[in-house]
Amino acid sequence: MFEQEDDIVERVIQQLRRPVAIDPAMDARVMQAITAPRPSQRRVWPWLAAAALLGAVMFWRPWSRGSDAERPDILQFVLVAPHANSVSLVGDFNDWDPKRSPMRTANGIWATVVQLAPGRYRYAFLVNGVEWRADPGAPTALDDEFGTPSSVVTVGGKGS
Amino acid sequence: MGIDRVESSDAELVRRVRTGDIGAYGVLVSRYRDRLGRYAIHMIGDREDAEEALQDSFVRAYRSLARCDDPARFGAWLYGILVNRCRTTGARAARRRRMFVRDADAMHGATHADQSERLEWTDAVDRALARLAPQYREAFLLKHVEDLEYDEIAELTGAGVSALKMRVKRAREQLQRYLREAEHV
Amino acid sequence: MILAVLLIVAQIGAQDPRLDRLDPDTRAQVTVVVDSARRVGLPAEPLIQRALEGATKGAPGPRIVTAVRRLSTDLGTARAALGDEASAPELEAGVAALRAGATPQVHGVRRPPLTMALSVLADLVASGVPADSAAAAVLALAPKARDADLVEFRRTVERDIALGAPPAAATSTRVNAGAVDIYSAGSNPGPARPRRP
Repeated sequence: MFEQEDDIVERVIQQLRRPVAIDPAMDARVMQAITAPRPSQRRVWPWLAAAALLGAVMFWRPWSRGSDAERPDILQFVLVAPHANSVSLVGDFNDWDPKRSPMRTANGIWATVVQLAPGRYRYAFLVNGVEWRADPGAPTALDDEFGTPSSVVTVGGKGS
Repeated sequence: MGIDRVESSDAELVRRVRTGDIGAYGVLVSRYRDRLGRYAIHMIGDREDAEEALQDSFVRAYRSLARCDDPARFGAWLYGILVNRCRTTGARAARRRRMFVRDADAMHGATHADQSERLEWTDAVDRALARLAPQYREAFLLKHVEDLEYDEIAELTGAGVSALKMRVKRAREQLQRYLREAEHV
Repeated sequence: MILAVLLIVAQIGAQDPRLDRLDPDTRAQVTVVVDSARRVGLPAEPLIQRALEGATKGAPGPRIVTAVRRLSTDLGTARAALGDEASAPELEAGVAALRAGATPQVHGVRRPPLTMALSVLADLVASGVPADSAAAAVLALAPKARDADLVEFRRTVERDIALGAPPAAATSTRVNAGAVDIYSAGSNPGPARPRRP
């Protein structure tokens, strides 16, 4: 089947022009990054020490040798809630205790970082101590036994 | 966050960000996210790397917003930051191999022939694009997919207009050739 | 072996202080379920977490007990399907897959560890993909794909669905296309930024 040269290129262009869907959570991540205080605004030396330690750990990476069998994962949880006074992350990894993982905010973006061992964890956000919200950017938990929405995050591996 | 009731222009939003309304930047991010993301994905060829480059570019643009000389052309200026950022990712992405796994026997349920064919074509295009030299790919995408004018592309990339036209021409020739090969396999 | 038995015996009856958040009746009933589970070698932690979830959400005691009992039963079913060697994460993911409607045959996927594969199956069903399509997709991909690839597959299907594709079609076309990025062994895993669920 002979095709005019330009036709092929035009088809390529049409293909490439099709819209792509970028993760909408990118907006929150960008806002969180730009509103986090810059290191220069704090005393420098504890951060140099921490950075050196982190660099050493990242280089050594005791958890990433070989297969993905044993590796804990570092997860960032983000919720956009401009009118909230407090947001806690609660789930199977912190005994569903709102005091364990309060989230920090800047400009309505709430975030926290948690390290998780392999497993499948249900979790949700507790807003102002009373309102339960699932994570719009995560899979929904199938079980709703207690009448409130939950989300799921999974870290692969066998675990110890 | 940053919900805008009236459609504000880029210039207006940049002005607001500069006076301290950080939330206005969120509107700009939403506005450009998918369009710039399209370029990053096609240029880099890996979605995760592309999203990282995109996120970095947005953050960098915010931090250097004072250097955006013409707020009305914020989009083009942002493209420039992204184009440069994508150049540094190319080397990392090249380390990954792309393997194609075909295991049709394991599939139950309906197959959708049209959609399958379309995805074959999509893969062929992606592979052909990946084979282009980065400079050719960059010029081709900016001109034919992102619809920038040659003088705008010249400003972003630092290359001359005639050099860019040559790169686009080469890109078109090579794409034709690779896709012809693909059709004959 | 004897030491292990002694340790198990010592654990039975020792209450987990976290369960103090429950009212005495509920606590007693939940403890019975947890102890039984431990005795047969099932993981206790998921059961405790389910009870704590109920406590935090202010659920009535009987509902908490029902939820914990149901989970204990399902953990047993998952273990029957996955085998005694299955780890706690695999069992938890196995329960999710079962509750999503996957039959135990699906658990015959040859790809330890199974945690992510089973989880992705359950997550796809939660997005609206029919259970058999989700199971077929996971069966097709799991043997050759790594955890990150399975997560990427799930996200891609979810995006397609969000853009209007029928869930079963979205799943099958993504599997048929078969494009899965496989990182060459030993390559740098990339910059260590925290990932999102």
